[in-house]
Amino acid sequence: MFNISNLTVSVEDNEILNNFSLDVGPGEVHAIMGPNGSGKSTLAHVCAGKEDYTVLNGEINLNGEDLLDLEADERSTKGLFLAFQYPIEIPGVTTLTFLKSSLEAHYKANNKEVLSTPDFMKLVKKKSAELNIDDSMIKRPLNVGFSGGEKKRNEILQMALLDPEICILDETDSGLDIDALRLVAEGVNNLRNEKRSFIVITHYQRLLDYIKPDFVHIMYNGKIIETGDSSLALELEKSGYNNYIK
Amino acid sequence: MLTEEKNINVEEQVVAYCKDNIINQDIKHPLYPARLGAYELFRAHGLPTTRNEQWKYTNISSKLERIPSQSDVKPVPVNLDNFINNFEIVKKAKENKDSVLVFMDGAMQSQLSIVNTDTKTVSVTSLKKDPIPDWAVKLNSEKHSQNVNEMFNLNTALMEDGAIININNNKGIADNIYIIHVGNNDGFYNYRHMINVQNGAHVNIIEFKISNKVDIEALYTSSIIWQIGNNCVVNNVKYQAHNQITIGFNQQYADIANDTEFNSFTISSGSKLLREFRDINCNGSNSNISISGINLLDGDSHIDTMLSVKHKAPNTISREKYKSILNDNSKGVFQGNIIVDDIAQKTIAKQSIDALILSKNAEHDAKPELEIYADDVQCGHGATTGQISQDSLFYLKSRGIPEEEAKRLLVHAFLTDALEEIKDKKILETFADVMNNMLNRVSKGNLNV
Repeated sequence: MFNISNLTVSVEDNEILNNFSLDVGPGEVHAIMGPNGSGKSTLAHVCAGKEDYTVLNGEINLNGEDLLDLEADERSTKGLFLAFQYPIEIPGVTTLTFLKSSLEAHYKANNKEVLSTPDFMKLVKKKSAELNIDDSMIKRPLNVGFSGGEKKRNEILQMALLDPEICILDETDSGLDIDALRLVAEGVNNLRNEKRSFIVITHYQRLLDYIKPDFVHIMYNGKIIETGDSSLALELEKSGYNNYIK
Repeated sequence: MLTEEKNINVEEQVVAYCKDNIINQDIKHPLYPARLGAYELFRAHGLPTTRNEQWKYTNISSKLERIPSQSDVKPVPVNLDNFINNFEIVKKAKENKDSVLVFMDGAMQSQLSIVNTDTKTVSVTSLKKDPIPDWAVKLNSEKHSQNVNEMFNLNTALMEDGAIININNNKGIADNIYIIHVGNNDGFYNYRHMINVQNGAHVNIIEFKISNKVDIEALYTSSIIWQIGNNCVVNNVKYQAHNQITIGFNQQYADIANDTEFNSFTISSGSKLLREFRDINCNGSNSNISISGINLLDGDSHIDTMLSVKHKAPNTISREKYKSILNDNSKGVFQGNIIVDDIAQKTIAKQSIDALILSKNAEHDAKPELEIYADDVQCGHGATTGQISQDSLFYLKSRGIPEEEAKRLLVHAFLTDALEEIKDKKILETFADVMNNMLNRVSKGNLNV
């Protein structure tokens, strides 16, 4: 379903990803953990199509189609979603306008009929209520003045609206208090199904208490050096990375 | 070392043009003394150069090579009425029975103009064809006698036509007046509007200036002189979309009395060279003014805004908010001067100048200045120049929004708080189509409206 093979990526001559490979099947949740600087966020950004990186080798396939030749917006409409570690604040664009533009772009790209404004509003209200997002928040400029929790819930709202096949969560737990973490994790769990897959990048095992992974990978120096099940995360929490990165 | 050699040829051409014009004037005309005086001042000083601080970033000689040739007869095209009526703004104005004044190449087209006489509060006369009211002669002479602005003097010496508008107290029911100006032939045009807003009058004046064709070579000077009384509300929006070979020098003067609101907003695009000189005097207390605008530049366009706001009485508020978007090899210049006299205590003055640069070769020079002689004031200014944030662009694209649409959203976001300075929401709605069209072109990298 989502396959990354032999991906080598550099930034200004520094190799950040080094022959990185990962296969994600339908409905699977893969957690990626690793010390700072191991290339986790780079992986997320390269998958989503950020332009600051040079891909030297490898492929990123979604349902057999190579995403590397596609622009970020095309990757999104093909079904890839990146939940940002630091969602960007955009003054002057209301959250609602942004959501509408985004959803319309998806419908148009997939030859679906664009929702009427009342239907769109109904859909947004329904999905926001599930995430405890009130109306006033979506009328405010995108992420401007949002608390950490609001920003992350807004990311999950977008995920819920855009209905992606593969979701990459880049340290979604950072900056969240315990209640916000639970709410965001519940939002993610509600979106889990047999087709939709997740790559959850995190530093802390705590998130994985809520979002149960099928696989846990340790990433170091731009590649996966160890793979296990959820017990690997517990092990890391106890003894750190030292046993793996010698 | 001199940074600029004067283009003697073009200056001689302009002086000779003025001289011919003066010789042909009726010396008994009430505006003649001002014309003659202005001609003599212009002849003495010539065209301004970059050695003049107010022209430091704009070299006229490098843009103005000659006076465009023109024929004596400028026939009004048979389709001019259709051309004008095609604009949604004009259609709506006519539907609403608003006054619509049509000018072609600086000359009023009475047969195409409509003045709403129902309200009995508006009167419009032509500077060229009608007797000049006393207030206009006086206002003209006052502005001329104290003036050192070369391009205003040139305009005074050469003014051919213009609208002289008087608005009486309309008891809060605003009169709407549209001034449509179409550039239709090659040539050198000079026109002046004078507007007298009587105590208690409310008025919306919308100016719409467009080039009919892309290859019309026009050089023009224009002035608009406002005299605004007590307890008035004046909303003025000027939209000018010239072709890339037009050169224009616009002067705006306004004198504002007590307890008055004056919002003046300019949207400019195109032009080989466009100078926007705005000189605003808050003479009375408790006035609240906004002098703001948006500039869209591409190709080799050069737009220079020179703004001077003088607070001459206590308790006045001014805001100047300008946003510019620059592409290709264009250049934007902004000099904004706020002067607070010693008696103008409790003044609040805020100025912000922001530029969004879309190409490597575009340039924006901003020079905000504050001169404060009172001690109990709140004054501030800020200037920023930047590019579209790549992080913002990536964020929008990562949600499926194509690059063009993403840029459109970001440019719109950049312009939003300036557009909020168009205080009359009906006028803002009137411009909705124009703005949408403009934003679509901006996001495609084409700013030419």
